[in-house]
Formats: sequence, C-alpha cells, structure tokens
Amino acid sequence: MILYDYILSASCYKVRLLASLLGVELQLRPVDFHPGREHQGAELLALNPAGSIPIFVDGDLVLTESAAMLTYLAARHGPDWLADADARATALQQQWLAFSHRLTAELGGARLVEMLHFNGDLKALQSNGIAALRELEAALFARRVAGGTFLVGDGPSIGDIACFPYVALAPDGSISLDPYPSIRIWMRALRAIPGFIEMPGIHRLHELAPDPFAEAPS
Amino acid sequence: MAADTDARWVPIAVSADIPNGTVVPARLPTRMIAVWRAASGDLYANADRCPHRGMRLSHGFVRGQTLSCIYHGWRFGSDGACQKIPAHPAVEPPNTINCGPLPMTEANGVVWGAAVSPAVAPDQFTGHNALRSLVIAASVDAISSACKGRRVDGTIRAQLGGQNTILLMNDYGSGEVQVIALVPSGISAPNGMKVSTALEVLRRTAEGMGDAA
Repeated sequence: MILYDYILSASCYKVRLLASLLGVELQLRPVDFHPGREHQGAELLALNPAGSIPIFVDGDLVLTESAAMLTYLAARHGPDWLADADARATALQQQWLAFSHRLTAELGGARLVEMLHFNGDLKALQSNGIAALRELEAALFARRVAGGTFLVGDGPSIGDIACFPYVALAPDGSISLDPYPSIRIWMRALRAIPGFIEMPGIHRLHELAPDPFAEAPS
Repeated sequence: MAADTDARWVPIAVSADIPNGTVVPARLPTRMIAVWRAASGDLYANADRCPHRGMRLSHGFVRGQTLSCIYHGWRFGSDGACQKIPAHPAVEPPNTINCGPLPMTEANGVVWGAAVSPAVAPDQFTGHNALRSLVIAASVDAISSACKGRRVDGTIRAQLGGQNTILLMNDYGSGEVQVIALVPSGISAPNGMKVSTALEVLRRTAEGMGDAA
C-alpha cells in the first residue's frame, strides 16, 4: 500500500494515523506540495486528475478521498473501526465522514490561507469553521451525557479519525479551541490510543511516557 | 469591565470538564489562566504563561501532582514553584521562578477563580449543578433578553428546555461572554440534553440580536 503523502497535510495524516493505530505498514511517497505543487504536475495528475493529495494505491486500486482510504484500511485490517453494527451506527458513520469534509473545507481552508498564504475569504472560512466546531462540541457533549466518548459507538472509529486532525489544527487558521471542553476531552481520548502518532502541530500526550525524573526503582 | 485586581470569584469552568491529570485554558476578566487537576483530584490555577519563554501552560501536561510546560518541560508544583528544568537536571531551580498560583474553588460543579483571594466563598446554588459551559459572542443584556431571563445577583434565571436554569456569566469584556448553565441536580440525561439544545438556540438568538443592532 502506497500513500502519496505530505507531512503538513492533515488529510494525509488521517491515513498515516489510522494505519499506525491498526499496526499496518504504509509505503510513503513524499509529495512536494509546497512550494513545488507536485500534486498539480503531470505524473500525479495522471494518477489523480483532481490534483489533490493524499493518493492511495494498493495494486490496481487507486483512492483519492481520505474517507475512502480510512474505510478501506478499517475494512481490511480493523472492522471494529467501521462502527457499523446497525443501521443507525452505519448512517451516523457516513454523517461524520461527510461532516469531516466541512472541517477540511472551512478549518483547513483557513489554515491554508494563514499558513501557506493561499487565496481565500479568511473571515468567512473562520466563521463557518467556528459553526462546525460548535456543532461538534454539542454532539460530543451529547455523547458524554449518554456515557460515551467517541462519535459513534463505544470505541473510536473512522469518523473520529476523519474529524480529529483539522479540529486539532484549527489554531493554525487562527481559530481558538479554548471554548470547547467536550472537544478537548475527545481529542485527549484519541491521543491516548496506543499507536497514536504525531504530525507537526499535533503532539502526543507526554504524560503517558515514563517520567524522566522518576526515582529509579530500588 | 471589572478590574482584574478585584477580590471576587468568577465562574470559569465546569468541574466535570477538567478530569484528573489534565490542564485547560480559562479566563479571568483581564488575564488568561491555566487550570489543572492533579492526579489526586486537587484543582489548581496559575497564569497561562510559562515564566521561561511565555508558552501557554494550558498546552502543557499534568503528571502526578505537577504541571509541565509543553515547550521545554519546566515543571511546576501546586505552589507555582518551578521544581525541575529538564535541560539542566542537576540544577535546583531558584525559588524566584514561579508560574503565579491563583485562588480557586469548586461548588455546584462550577470552578471559580479569582485574581486576589476573596474574603467570602462564592454564591451557593443549592439544588443546582453545572451542566455545560459555552461562549456566546453577545452582551449579557442580549443573552438575558434572548432567553426572557430575570437578572439576579449577576446571574440570569430562565426557563430553558423546561427546566429552571441558572446562567452564570463570565464577561470576557471583548464582546464574548462565557455562560455556565446550572440545572436542577439529578435531572435525567434526556432533560439535560433539552437544556443543552435550548442553550444552542439561546446563543443563535443572542448573537442574531447583536447583528441586528
């Protein structure tokens, strides 16, 4: 399985993250997204005419949408992550995967304007991004009231992985995460899953590592 | 806006939003603070600024009974004193390095903070408990009028989602108000969700009023 990857892309990170959580090895093919715009070059356009990354290749299967990549990895290597036990869960999973596209467009859009100086209406992107964060906060509060932690079902699923990165990176688009306590608790739970990996701007939970100053056991 | 030096309690968070072993950002009228709960469950607050390089300590992490900065790992105790500097493990940090502990107390599932220790405890709301906290980009007046509320001692009393709800206000003074909603203790989860939904409606209404003005 080959992933055409860019280290600062949250959509590429989603795929790397789920692969790591599932213990699956990906062959990474770095793409010079910025400043080289390699994703718009002839070689990658032949693979993905949409000119976007990530691109995922497994034999003759080519996937160009990160939600599809998460679905494929989970279906093959960790079906629990599909959280599709019944009609309700299956539908909710689809809803969160679709919702993640809004996060990519709005929070990710604000990030591209602020971080890589892309063109865009920053105020509109931020305002729509905050609307999406408020929806997510309300939904996660409802999950907490019902005794849950993750978006669908008892455990983490691909919907959580699809939504997490652009939420965590919202401050890159000058959108504060301070007002969202339920989002904070949810992100912490995701970062505590064994196999969690970092990307620039999303760090691991240092408190889970051994205390460097702990007294040596006697 | 109230002066930061006021010795008065300000509602800054919902207790349940700060699990053991975590740190969160919060606000007093004129300063950012980091509120953290040690492994023991004890709650502490200090300036949201590491005395080393100014990094927000709310981005840091709690280990045992200490708070560490995410940037270079400077470690602080409940008294604000720096205990360890990882880059200089043999150095005993001087006691002048301190992240500025602040007064802090909890009641009714609400975390209260202050810049200067108030003489009296925060108001008690017997029979009520915190449900959730949300930030509304509108004035306290707009919020009160949007829920047809009654102003009582700095709070708003209103019927929200069919429940007698008490709204505590933390006016950031920048056009945003943090609202902490208290509901009757022991209400069912579905009734709690009705209040939560009513709070979302309240926010849309209050913020809409701001646009119209």
